[in-house]
Amino acid sequence: MLVTYIEAIRQAMDEELARDRNVLLMGEDVGVLGGAFKATAGLQEKHGADRVVDMPISESLIVGAGIGLAVQGLRPVLEMQFIDFISCGFDQIVNSAATLRYRHGGQTACPIVVRGPSGGGVHGGLYHSQNPEAWFCHVPGLKVVAPATAYDAKGLLKSAIRDDDPVIYFEHKFLYRRIKEEIPAEEYLVPIGKAALRKEGRDLTVITYGAPVHAVMKAARDMATEVDIEVIDLRTLQPIDWATVKASVRKTGKALIVHEARLNGGIGGEVAARIAQDCFEELDGPVIRLAARDVHTPFAPAMEAYVLPNQEKITEAIRKLAAY
Amino acid sequence: MLIDVVMPQLGESVVEGVVVKWLVEVGELIAKDQPLLEISTDKVDAEIPSPSAGRVTQILVKPGETVPIQAVLAKIETAPAASPPAPEAAQKWDEETEGFPGHMARTSEPPIPAPPRVETSAPAPPPPPKTGRIRITPVVARMAAEQGLELSKIPGTGIDGRVTRKDVEAYLASSAPGAEGSAKKPKPSEAKVVAAKAPEAKAAPAPKGAASPSAKASEGKPAAAEGDQVVPWTPIRKRIAEHMVRSKQTSPHVHIFAEVDMHRVAAVRAKAKQEGVSLTYLPFVIHSAAKALRETPVMNATVSGESTVMKKDIHIAVAVDTEKGLLVPVLRHADRMSLSEISAAMDDFGARAKSGKISPDELSGGTFSVTNPGIKGNLFGTPIINQPQVGILRLGQIVKRPVVIDADGEDSIVIRPMMYLCCAYDHRVIDGVAGNGFLYRVREILEAGDFS
Repeated sequence: MLVTYIEAIRQAMDEELARDRNVLLMGEDVGVLGGAFKATAGLQEKHGADRVVDMPISESLIVGAGIGLAVQGLRPVLEMQFIDFISCGFDQIVNSAATLRYRHGGQTACPIVVRGPSGGGVHGGLYHSQNPEAWFCHVPGLKVVAPATAYDAKGLLKSAIRDDDPVIYFEHKFLYRRIKEEIPAEEYLVPIGKAALRKEGRDLTVITYGAPVHAVMKAARDMATEVDIEVIDLRTLQPIDWATVKASVRKTGKALIVHEARLNGGIGGEVAARIAQDCFEELDGPVIRLAARDVHTPFAPAMEAYVLPNQEKITEAIRKLAAY
Repeated sequence: MLIDVVMPQLGESVVEGVVVKWLVEVGELIAKDQPLLEISTDKVDAEIPSPSAGRVTQILVKPGETVPIQAVLAKIETAPAASPPAPEAAQKWDEETEGFPGHMARTSEPPIPAPPRVETSAPAPPPPPKTGRIRITPVVARMAAEQGLELSKIPGTGIDGRVTRKDVEAYLASSAPGAEGSAKKPKPSEAKVVAAKAPEAKAAPAPKGAASPSAKASEGKPAAAEGDQVVPWTPIRKRIAEHMVRSKQTSPHVHIFAEVDMHRVAAVRAKAKQEGVSLTYLPFVIHSAAKALRETPVMNATVSGESTVMKKDIHIAVAVDTEKGLLVPVLRHADRMSLSEISAAMDDFGARAKSGKISPDELSGGTFSVTNPGIKGNLFGTPIINQPQVGILRLGQIVKRPVVIDADGEDSIVIRPMMYLCCAYDHRVIDGVAGNGFLYRVREILEAGDFS
């Protein structure tokens, strides 16, 4: 079945709504309109207005109501129209959802999914291009995923809905309709906490996730004659699959981390620190990060390209590290 | 303008330092902050950077000399002509400075592009000129330590002549036995790291070549089929592995054997048992070894660099098996201990080793080792020397055998408890006469049966 990334997301919710009566969708315009990006198109019609619920423009309310329903045994999937506005629901996520299990000595679960379009490259400007995943990786009690392929988008969302802990699900809007993939017609899941080895290589490991996975894979193909790159797609950012990361870096001796989120305080810092600590004696070069510049994402296309990692920057970083 | 390079004060209480090495020559053009020399003080070793760009006009202190702080070490002419090199061309994106450590910017050669990947047949690039300082990566440091490599002999192909993992691998491949000619090396004569061979080594297991088993063991993920159990090495296992490999690579081991008639030892044991004292064979061997070491000082020694340190005291390290791995506590002044004292000390070590209460101090300082694999120790074995010591004794199984003895001038066959005792010695330090003499003497003492 050939599907786009966003269709894979829609299918995941459709299948889970059909499978489990406790699953419901809540968000701004998810019902009648079918979502600003059409991620929930046709789902209210099919599953009913009591299970695909249009909500007021208040992310705090959407998340808070979802937490209450989750405590009562439902499995709400909460859409942020743009993930940039998750900050409006931040308190509900980090202080309520993430702490419930801890506060109740393990007796309460909070099976919510907060999902929404993240990422730049679409000239969305500073309120429609953000990548705030690192904020949530800092909070115990949350799981954080960021699929890069249609296959993973579907499999990870289904796993997230079935997970008893709050999962923050970052879907990259640049990929929505730009990638198309064959995915199985039959049901499948992608486990949370497991990275994907996208390409094996001997010279250098690139650790990435989200949209940059595609640029890194292109670089790996284009540069095949000069450097043999191993590519790891983290897929889950909390908890990170350290075993896969370390095994690869121990093999190649060199690590480059690429993400679209900003450099300062990004996931790359944590990955680099772990590698430096646990793989030091295997390193054949410095651990390098390539990320967005530490500024807000500009609207102007030329400026956006200047700020975000792109094909050219990735190629250059790989080339430098390979030559070290 | 002529300026002075002075000895800095490297720490509050430091008043002087030794010039170890000059990294520049008189007449050389230098950049600001370029390391000029290495110095060593009580507290730290440091490189002294140039205070300015210019030309070295005078070097006033020779390597090895000690100078007080503020002493003038060299003079530099800071002519305007010797301005620092022009900055590199503007970069395309400034991760050059933001995202990469500054030293990743290539300074000695034009910007990449890296050569296409070549599997075979291409000649290795010539080593870049050495500037006295070798740049390496952490993995290269580890490999060099494991393999005992001299890094200055390995051509570095990384940025600014860095020695990379590939360079070490290529070097090892080209210097491994049988691999000569497979890779063209500018100086094949240098590409050799083989321990010196000694004549008697022919009779003994040959020392390992340059390829290290520990290096192989550390490569990648273990291949495990379903049902296999992968047991990662514990820190103690890693230390043992590292030590064993290093010892085999460091010392050309010679193994010699004595067949020892233990019937007098057995008699002493039996007598002690009647008196309620239980003695194993091990204290007898430790006691005899200590006595023989006193007479053969070269066996009671350690190696330090290219010197042999003949130790005044006899401290015998004895291997003890524990759940966590092999421990080797040290019996201090074993030559001054009676049999029962040795026996009591061994019991104490054994008990404390099992409960994990042996202090690190008790595991260091040995001058010779004895290992007893116990009842199931088999006929004999060839032990590995406990570095930096130069000798080790290993007990074999004690078995009753018919032996021919001289009874009142007549050959006669009797049954005796016999033991093969193996001694390994480091042939770098110990010649055959001393090594054989030592083991012969241990045997004499054991057979004489006088352990007072």
